[in-house]
Amino acid sequence: MTAATAAPVRHRTPRATSAIPLTAARLLRTELRRNAMPWILPLIAALFWFDSYRPSTRTAPLYVLRTFWNMGQGHTIIDIGPFVAGVAAWMGSRDGRRGLADLVTATARPRWAAQLATWAATAIWAVAAYLVFVGVMFAWYAHQGVGGTPPWWWVAVGATAVTAFSAAGFAVGAYWPSRFAAPVAAFAGFLAMAMSSQTGFSHISGWALILPTNSNGNFQADSGIFYPWLPDLPVARIMFLAGIAVAALGLTGLPARAGGPWLRRAAAVVTLAGVASAAIAVGLASTARLSAHGMVIPALHDAASDAPVTYTPACGRAAGVPVCLNPAYRRWLPDVNGALAPVLAEVAGLPGTPARATQVAAAYSSGEVGAGQVITLGGHPPVLRMSLGQLDMPGPCGFCDEPVATKQFADQIRLGFAQAFVGAGNGSGSPGQQAVQAALLRGAGIPFAAQPKLMATTKNGPGPPPGPATGPVYAAARRLATLPAAARHAWLAAHLAALRAGRLTLKELP
Amino acid sequence: MNVDITDLTRRFGRTQAVAGVSLQAGAGVFGLLGPNGAGKTSLLRMMATVLPPTSGRLRLLGRDPGSYGPRREIRRRLGYLPQNLGYYPGFTAAEFVEYFALLKEMPPGQVPRAVAAAIEHVGLGDKARAKLRTLSGGMLRRAGIAQAIVNQPELLLLDEPTAGLDPEQRVAFRALLRDLGQRATVIVSTHLVEDVGAACTEVALMDAGKIVFHGTPDELIARGEGTGAAGDAPLERGYSAVLAAARSAAAVA
Repeated sequence: MTAATAAPVRHRTPRATSAIPLTAARLLRTELRRNAMPWILPLIAALFWFDSYRPSTRTAPLYVLRTFWNMGQGHTIIDIGPFVAGVAAWMGSRDGRRGLADLVTATARPRWAAQLATWAATAIWAVAAYLVFVGVMFAWYAHQGVGGTPPWWWVAVGATAVTAFSAAGFAVGAYWPSRFAAPVAAFAGFLAMAMSSQTGFSHISGWALILPTNSNGNFQADSGIFYPWLPDLPVARIMFLAGIAVAALGLTGLPARAGGPWLRRAAAVVTLAGVASAAIAVGLASTARLSAHGMVIPALHDAASDAPVTYTPACGRAAGVPVCLNPAYRRWLPDVNGALAPVLAEVAGLPGTPARATQVAAAYSSGEVGAGQVITLGGHPPVLRMSLGQLDMPGPCGFCDEPVATKQFADQIRLGFAQAFVGAGNGSGSPGQQAVQAALLRGAGIPFAAQPKLMATTKNGPGPPPGPATGPVYAAARRLATLPAAARHAWLAAHLAALRAGRLTLKELP
Repeated sequence: MNVDITDLTRRFGRTQAVAGVSLQAGAGVFGLLGPNGAGKTSLLRMMATVLPPTSGRLRLLGRDPGSYGPRREIRRRLGYLPQNLGYYPGFTAAEFVEYFALLKEMPPGQVPRAVAAAIEHVGLGDKARAKLRTLSGGMLRRAGIAQAIVNQPELLLLDEPTAGLDPEQRVAFRALLRDLGQRATVIVSTHLVEDVGAACTEVALMDAGKIVFHGTPDELIARGEGTGAAGDAPLERGYSAVLAAARSAAAVA
């Protein structure tokens, strides 16, 4: 130690207001450099890979399916949030834990401002890590040729959730400067997310839609493919999570040692604003209703979001009929062509035979149940419309027991085509229609014995499940199927109108 | 007067830590002596504006710390070294000092130079980039002193500043105190009377929350002469004599 013979110049000049941001920036730089968050990032990265990325690759390569697990069900939030809350609590409790509370309080800068710098550094690390992890995952998806568009709004929800976890954890640490604050905050975060997920499984509408891991949202079959991801519900969730973050940070500014009376009043206002934002968001979520393209919140909805995404279709031919799909489904074009070719060949030349086949957006009536008719046929000239988003495409399918085989997919397409062609619609149709449908499927290579099981697996209409391939329907179908192709063709040409109208009885079949 | 205290008290529940202390101090080094539990740390914490008094009048640097604006102004001109100084183990010594310089709202442009100077003054120049977790107890104490003096305080409060310092560092620190005392009020709470003798121009002795002696070190030495009080050095004998007299007076009362 030396006597201050060359002491620095004294600085008793009034503080310039322009110095405040510079001081804050330098504090933030130091806090960023010495933050505890980077230490836990490798663990979070490993968990993210194991729980968010790895299971998602078991689904078909479409963003809407890949991200249903990690974004829709919120696994990215579950993997990151609790750890962030724990580390934030560790940082929030730092001054008290380290015996520096007196020293920090004795400085001119309001304690709240210093705490906000510490929190900001923690949050910046956490959100940056989240964005990097998600960015790498999406880049890898893109490298794998995943179709559709990434759900950016849900990424924003995740980033806001991470921010909220950091703020809530920090507040816990600030109020409870103990070494146990971090594990308690982490466990509480995990518990909250587990309860959020469980609530999401049972509540598909109403206030529970605000919960960040409630999967009942915009993850409709063709979100980001035929229609943009609707921002309504994500905006409400961002409001909710940001409100929680703001309220938690406001709470840290309320104690007497946090700052002067004006600052504490400001903290109270900030806290109330955060609570109000969260409450309004819950109210908005409770007004949400499911539209054909996703969850709509009337007060937040912009009609421009309903405009379909323009695209250049990927086209091929099946039995001479042009077949066009959304480019997100390009990889399955050969499968669709292969599935359609036998049934199109069966009906070639008949009135009402499709002039072309095209993919259309799937319309869901609810989150996971009540799908509509997969394939319809209509128009002049007749067009076969396929909502492939309702089907499990060939390959990995996520929640299935095993990957979907090409034949399994082809059989579903053929059944859908046959139902549409005979006019059976979404139900099982009249006995006459059922018999012709069975004969057509038989001609397309699906034996009678396999048809009941096929219909059972794809059944989406009312009524009891199909029985065995016996009885008068299958007897009539067998009679029709044993006719020479030319004769069957001629009979169908003559009776197609009556068949589609449901007026043809089994006795009228040849 | 940079420190103007009148009848200051502080209670913690039923315990009266500071009981009606009155004190004035201008520029110079002021020693605050007393046994453990005498109330020195509580008095220093009140002067550091982290502990509000229960009653009494406290003015620091001509301002009332009871109001937020003046309190903030005092804190800009204050240096404080608590008795039990914590530290951020991941910070380097320079970062630690810089951090507190910024919290003291020093003009950002002056911070790097002030940090370097403070670090040099406490003899930590070669450890400026070392993480605090790697420093010895004495070095950590010096880092604490550096953060206290980084803003060239007009009022410097040091609670047991020489604890953990080796003899060489203690001598250097006393020289630093004398230098700082030429332009600022330095209040040093200690139970090491040799620090007081070497560096202080004034000294107060506290016992049971009260000031039982206030004068110069020479006057304290004089109080011990011919009393047969215990102690190896004249100041220690004065210290013991004053304490004994205060306690016997309290017992009679």
